[in-house]
Amino acid sequence: MALRTEELLLNVGPQHPSTHGVFRIVVKIDGEIIKEATPVMGYLHRGTEKLAENLNYTQIIPYTDRMDYVSAMTNNYVLVSAVEKLMQLEVPERAEFLRVIVMELQRIASHLLWWGTYLLDIGAMSPFLFAFRDREIIIELFNELCGARLTYFYMRVGGVKWDAPDGWIQKVRDFVPYMRERLKLYDDLVSGNEIFLARIKGVGRYDAQTAIDYGLSGANLRCTGVKRDLRKDQPYSVYDRFEFDVPTRTEGDCYARYLLRIEEIKQSLRILEQAVEMFPEGPVMAKVPRVLRPPEGEVYSRVESPRGEIGCYVVSKGKDSPYRLKFRRPSFVNLQILPKLLVGESITNLITILGATDIVVGEVDA
Amino acid sequence: MKGLVKGLGVTLRNMTKKKVTYKYPDEPMKMPNRFRGVQHFEPEKCIVCNQCARICPTECITLTGKKNPDPESKVKLVIDTFDLNFEICILCDLCTEVCPTEAIVMTNNFELAAYSRDELFKDKEWLTANNTNVREENNVSLLKAKKGGAE
Amino acid sequence: MGELLTRPLTWGSFLTFFLMAVVLLLIILFMVTYAIYAERKILGYMQSRIGPNRTGKFGLLQTPADVLKLLIKEDVIPEKADRPLFKLAPVIAFVPSFVVLATIPYSEHMYFADLDIGVLYYVALSGLTVIGIVLGGWASNNKYALIGGMRSAAQLVSYAIPLVISAVGVVLMSGTMNLRGIVEGQAGWFWNWNFIPQILAFVVFVISAIAELNRTPFDLPEAESELVAGYHVEYSGFRFAFFMLTEYVYMIAMSALITTLFFGGWHAPAPFLEFIPGFIWFLLKFCGVFFFIIWLRGTMPRIRIDQLMSLGWRVLLPLSLGNIFVTAIVMEIVKAING
Ligand code: SF4
Ligand code: SF4
Repeated sequence: MALRTEELLLNVGPQHPSTHGVFRIVVKIDGEIIKEATPVMGYLHRGTEKLAENLNYTQIIPYTDRMDYVSAMTNNYVLVSAVEKLMQLEVPERAEFLRVIVMELQRIASHLLWWGTYLLDIGAMSPFLFAFRDREIIIELFNELCGARLTYFYMRVGGVKWDAPDGWIQKVRDFVPYMRERLKLYDDLVSGNEIFLARIKGVGRYDAQTAIDYGLSGANLRCTGVKRDLRKDQPYSVYDRFEFDVPTRTEGDCYARYLLRIEEIKQSLRILEQAVEMFPEGPVMAKVPRVLRPPEGEVYSRVESPRGEIGCYVVSKGKDSPYRLKFRRPSFVNLQILPKLLVGESITNLITILGATDIVVGEVDA
Repeated sequence: MKGLVKGLGVTLRNMTKKKVTYKYPDEPMKMPNRFRGVQHFEPEKCIVCNQCARICPTECITLTGKKNPDPESKVKLVIDTFDLNFEICILCDLCTEVCPTEAIVMTNNFELAAYSRDELFKDKEWLTANNTNVREENNVSLLKAKKGGAE
Repeated sequence: MGELLTRPLTWGSFLTFFLMAVVLLLIILFMVTYAIYAERKILGYMQSRIGPNRTGKFGLLQTPADVLKLLIKEDVIPEKADRPLFKLAPVIAFVPSFVVLATIPYSEHMYFADLDIGVLYYVALSGLTVIGIVLGGWASNNKYALIGGMRSAAQLVSYAIPLVISAVGVVLMSGTMNLRGIVEGQAGWFWNWNFIPQILAFVVFVISAIAELNRTPFDLPEAESELVAGYHVEYSGFRFAFFMLTEYVYMIAMSALITTLFFGGWHAPAPFLEFIPGFIWFLLKFCGVFFFIIWLRGTMPRIRIDQLMSLGWRVLLPLSLGNIFVTAIVMEIVKAING
């Protein structure tokens, strides 16, 4: 006798512990196996791009803080660098170094947050608190530098708002060996754990061609063996002065993405180490007019955010606010491959795969 | 098996390590000087130039001026009402950055929790009374002038 | 206490039983409250936190406060739920967890029921809880709860088998199913305790026990990052409290059972330490096992359902079966040698 079975439509989200915000996937499941998955996004849509058309360039920067709220510094940078390109501004060296330092700290903070929450998704509780504790140190550093813990609004067109306070650079210097020590602890706690490995090895695999076809970037692309990092391929700011590697792996599964992010923290530490050594003297703000009116034109600027390639396209008509502003948000693009990856996986793997993609819903919906 | 045991070792060793919890509500949190908290407003300094209201990205400042009651004074306008809506203020620091007289400055106070939204609507009196932990560095360009010219 | 059970049932003895049950229930409630407190504190310390510390001294009143909160909370029943079953489920889940406590010998003289089939009784009754969990998952008319309930059924049923079979090794060694008898068989030095001669059974038993308890790394039925809270997602207030209570009573019972079967119950690790009362020894060992379960929770990620199943059927079951054969053969050889 054939058993009559039925497919079940399961609504994962918008309120769900593992969607990291208000993100929703409608999955059709047969038992625990997913037959079809449809991501539904837009619950956190705030219309940043449209709002920006009525704001002047300085006013837009705090809005970018709120897109990818886990990595506000890189968002700040992509906008100011676009405007600087348009206005052909020369940014003081010290400002560029401060930007690089905060962006790399931000990358570490962002990967730490990812590491903690990913392990929480997998079901381990302690790593989350370990990671947040270390992220807290970075956040305190930021708090001291620019007066906020999450939405920094630190960069301005032409430089940065504040110079580093006394002793700040030394604190960053001290942070590097501390973090290296902690990474060893992380490896002991998690990276060798057989249950964890069994959970993520071979899950959510795709090849380089698929990744490129879907326009993935960041660790999601590098896990397939494509060596692409804008910091190296199209150096912006002062990244061409530092020595660092772009780690890649060829497996293309969640495990590869996991290892890559850990490795990227190590590379960021290397950059930090060099940056604090080379830290120059000088002003932190270029001479900019009080009201920013970039000349008529269009510009696209892109940087490597912790989640991938974030881009900003500005169309200026010579006014003090942009005619049109468009952000290429890596979380949004990286998410597109999800329906394809999920078919045939179990609900448990849904969480594993979604977590490894590393999305921030604020950025997905902008 | 090795990985599991290693992990168990890490958590066990961590039991005796120093705890990192803040004693927050028992001991007040000391924010660094640059911290952007609730604003403090000094009506005497305000010249009603409206710059803060114009720069604010969320348009949460509303202010009105009135004729100076003291006809002798050179200042024609003085502030009448100055309202800050903390429901939408994002503490971005722009208002304090543009204010030419540092009439509006940031404090390091951050405790804003309230039982109703109405309480988040702060008027001139409240902002004036909020005069503790006032931030030292506010307007960066003024700061340079104070320090004695550009670097 | 034991001889009371053998006398004919009179009103007087019934009342005694009843009162004793109530007292035990109160003790258990107290223990569960502080078990939760201990868990939170230990987890906190493992994670560089300090755990609950706001209510009462050292946060000692935190869990009583939480329990109180649960009890006075509004009782919400989803509109489309199957109301009678929804109400019944927590009761079905809880009762067996409490009943199994009766068989555990806490010390030489402190026990409630001296059953000859103690081991079987424990496993059979604890198997009933799964009905409550599946019912709860089904009756709440929620897909997450349903999946959680189904997972739970699969998990509890498949892990009960290696659990029993690994216990058989111990039963073979002591020649009785009576838990008191098993403890008495482990007298003397600590190497007489079953966990050394029965090391394989011990490992299998502990793994299956944790799976039976739905604890990390086997907490799939309530996997909060996937199924939100699994079978009890729709429960709130005191009904939820019952599920919670069940879980912790089982944790206590299972720790006690492991102590009894493998760590020599009330026996001291060395004969010259016998002057310390057996109950203290029992409590110490019990706390050790309990701590281990929490420790696992502080470290391990969650296993996947298919891995869970293959671990149960392909690894633990053959291992425990093999253990029986080995034990039987070794016992025969020993018997032959000793004449
Ligand atoms: S801090 Fe920003 S949002 Fe708040 S009042 Fe000032 S300008 Fe407006
Ligand atoms: S910018 Fe300063 S002086 Fe001008 S209106 Fe605002 S508070 Fe008053």
